[in-house]
Amino acid sequence: MTQYILRRLLLMIPVAFLVSVIVFTLLRITPGDPVLVFAGEERDPAALEALRHEYGLDQPLPVQYVVWMEHALRGDLGRSLRTRQPVTQAILERLPKTLELGSAALLISISVALVVGTLAALRRNSPLDLIATGFTIAGVSLPNFYLGIILILVFALALRVFPPGGYADFATEPVDNLKRLVLPAITLATASLAINLRQVRSSLLDVLSQEYLRTARAKGLGERAVVLRHALKNGLIPVVTIFGLQIGALLDGAIITETIFFWPGVGRLAVDSIGGRDYPVVQAIVLMSALAFMVSTLAVDVLYAWLDPRISYRRQAG
Amino acid sequence: MRSARYLLALFATLAVVLGACAGGQPSGGGPTASPVGAKPVYGGTLTFALENDVIDFDPLRSRAFVDRNLHYQIYDSLVRIDPTGKIIPWLAESWETSADGKQVTFKLRKDVKYHDGTVFDAASVKWNIDRYRTTQNSQRASDLAPVASVDVVDQYTARFNLKAPFAPLLATLVDRAGMMLSQKAIEAGGADFTRKPVGAGSGPFKFVEAVKDDHITIEKNPDWWGKDKDGNKLPYLDKIIVKPIVEGTVRTTNLRTGDAQVANNIVGKDVESIKSDPNLLYQQGPNYGFDSIFTNRKKGAAFEDGRYARAVSMAIDRKQITNQVFYGTRFPGYGTIAPSHFAADPSFKPFEKADPAGAKALIQQIGKPLQFEMLVTAGTALDLQIAQLIQAQLAKADIKMDIKTLEFAQILTLQDTCSYQGATLIGWSGRVDPDGNTYSHIYTGAPNNNSCYSNAQVDKLLDESRTTTDEAKRKAAFRAAEQIYVVDDPARVWYDFRSTQLATAKRVQGLVPYPDGLIRFDVGWLQK
Repeated sequence: MTQYILRRLLLMIPVAFLVSVIVFTLLRITPGDPVLVFAGEERDPAALEALRHEYGLDQPLPVQYVVWMEHALRGDLGRSLRTRQPVTQAILERLPKTLELGSAALLISISVALVVGTLAALRRNSPLDLIATGFTIAGVSLPNFYLGIILILVFALALRVFPPGGYADFATEPVDNLKRLVLPAITLATASLAINLRQVRSSLLDVLSQEYLRTARAKGLGERAVVLRHALKNGLIPVVTIFGLQIGALLDGAIITETIFFWPGVGRLAVDSIGGRDYPVVQAIVLMSALAFMVSTLAVDVLYAWLDPRISYRRQAG
Repeated sequence: MRSARYLLALFATLAVVLGACAGGQPSGGGPTASPVGAKPVYGGTLTFALENDVIDFDPLRSRAFVDRNLHYQIYDSLVRIDPTGKIIPWLAESWETSADGKQVTFKLRKDVKYHDGTVFDAASVKWNIDRYRTTQNSQRASDLAPVASVDVVDQYTARFNLKAPFAPLLATLVDRAGMMLSQKAIEAGGADFTRKPVGAGSGPFKFVEAVKDDHITIEKNPDWWGKDKDGNKLPYLDKIIVKPIVEGTVRTTNLRTGDAQVANNIVGKDVESIKSDPNLLYQQGPNYGFDSIFTNRKKGAAFEDGRYARAVSMAIDRKQITNQVFYGTRFPGYGTIAPSHFAADPSFKPFEKADPAGAKALIQQIGKPLQFEMLVTAGTALDLQIAQLIQAQLAKADIKMDIKTLEFAQILTLQDTCSYQGATLIGWSGRVDPDGNTYSHIYTGAPNNNSCYSNAQVDKLLDESRTTTDEAKRKAAFRAAEQIYVVDDPARVWYDFRSTQLATAKRVQGLVPYPDGLIRFDVGWLQK
């Protein structure tokens, strides 16, 4: 197992390298001159040329890539073209905030999906099942920029129970931090919750009709043990895959959610940087999310082995 | 003849200078205090919901309009404007232009210190202006291009030597090109200075901290030189927290829930909800900004023949746009000279009523029907709404306009090289002098002239408006030019003038709208 994980980790290096080349090239062949975007209303040609020189954008592309890679290998991802903030600092400053929002959303999404999805499967066609199914359709179809604004209008403006967005530092204002977390976390969780819920329900339904459960019941196990120990553990295998992929989707959703709730995370940085052609920042964010994807798929694969003893990586690694 | 003109110019300049020194400024220039009757109280923290995060605190690098919302609180400039747009003394107590118009001498305040304790004086003026003029990537270099050098006459007198007479100089010094910063603070800040301008200003508020996309905090400068009309020290407020909130509706919600007390960029459809909220106050005043349509006049483009641009100008219904899209927060506009500019001609309304029949006739006269493509930035609902409305209006004149959405960065590149086929939308935040609204947009080859317009007569008039310091002559030149580049040989199609919006909690007092759209927090205070 350890050997397998190590091998997977080593494989990430060439993948990361490839990703960096692709992102670098794609960004630069996308039409749009970063200097013009940053110039705003100030379009003096001499000043634009000076900016281009300062950013090294007047160099040939391969030279730009090598310079960037050289610095990146030393841990220096450069400075944002737009704000002149060091990229590493810009991302590290925001990452905890995005992780906080993302984990809260994931927690809501997974726990609600497991509980409600299981109940819906057990009481198929009951009112609860119908409500859950209806919610699934609504949750998937509702874009989160719309849901976010509705939540703000209802819970912040009409009911005044939560603040209309913004961020507070957990270290100094923990209560305020959590209050501000609720609405964006629900917004972010909704779409993935709907998918997860559906997945839990349907894969559990699959399992529930299988023979081995009848055997379990026949040998006198209580319904509780049948569902929790036998059905759920087996039914969760496809669910884990979906959960793993949802982590990536959450990152996408964070881009919009963070903008609406002015949550100062990586998602918002990504929007501004892509629109503004802020090359160094976009490169770093894409590279980071590629790594996050690779790590989360690895985690999913490891979880498989734990959930299903039939899966063993030793043989393949052998 | 020539000397007579100069003599006239001299008298006019003298009159302006004397007027500026003597006129209506009880405390010898400086802040214009609250018109409200109540007696101001000191203290309190205020939250300001801003439409985007500040990018550059350093006026030398700054390009975004939004930056100036903070610059005006932290830095002082040599001169400023009052709420009517008149130039008033600020760090410079008075100024004088030489007879040939090539030297402007400023007498400076003697009681000014930067937040880091260093003294503001003529040497500091020279250092700042030289820095703006000569630093390699300075965004202010073109603003100050007419300046040849700055002399330190004595500790509190600085003289600007110009390459040629340049009438808009004072207006230029109102904004970022005239902002004075501490050399020591800039040198200490290094590469991070533009994000952390600690101790650099001399203005009413000091920079405390800025966390990207989260908040900016500025606090009272207790040693500021400004006083209100009763001689009380300004500013009144202890602290201002600025929150960048991109979503317009969310900004309004923050005002309504009391999470913010001030905002100056309100979406048209939200204005009614602010006006009807008993806890909020909505003020609206004139603004220098305008919105327009670039019609590509380059050879081979859809609007090579200027008459097509005139046909579009005739066919669109400006009132419908300002009412339906902007809910009366903008006004039908016909050019670059805004109503609050000194050169504005209130009777200049060449396309006041939409005339699709006239446009149709004009196009028939040209012979070939007009069909073009309008580029709209993807993801901007408001721009798309405007484009669709215009599309419907033009259809009445048998003009076929196709809408194509592209990413903002892509549109900019096409604009910059005049390589779009038909038209794009373009707004302008506005400048104090009509020159700042006009020259770079209209003059042949100028950087914001992205319709590739060129008209020798217009160029001549615009040159004249720069070199003569006689206000009446400048006015005449601007108006003559405007008649040409708006009506006779249109450079593009203008459709609105903006307004300055100011939405505040009712307990916020003293703030008034300025035509540059920026808030002066030094005179603001919070009712207990």
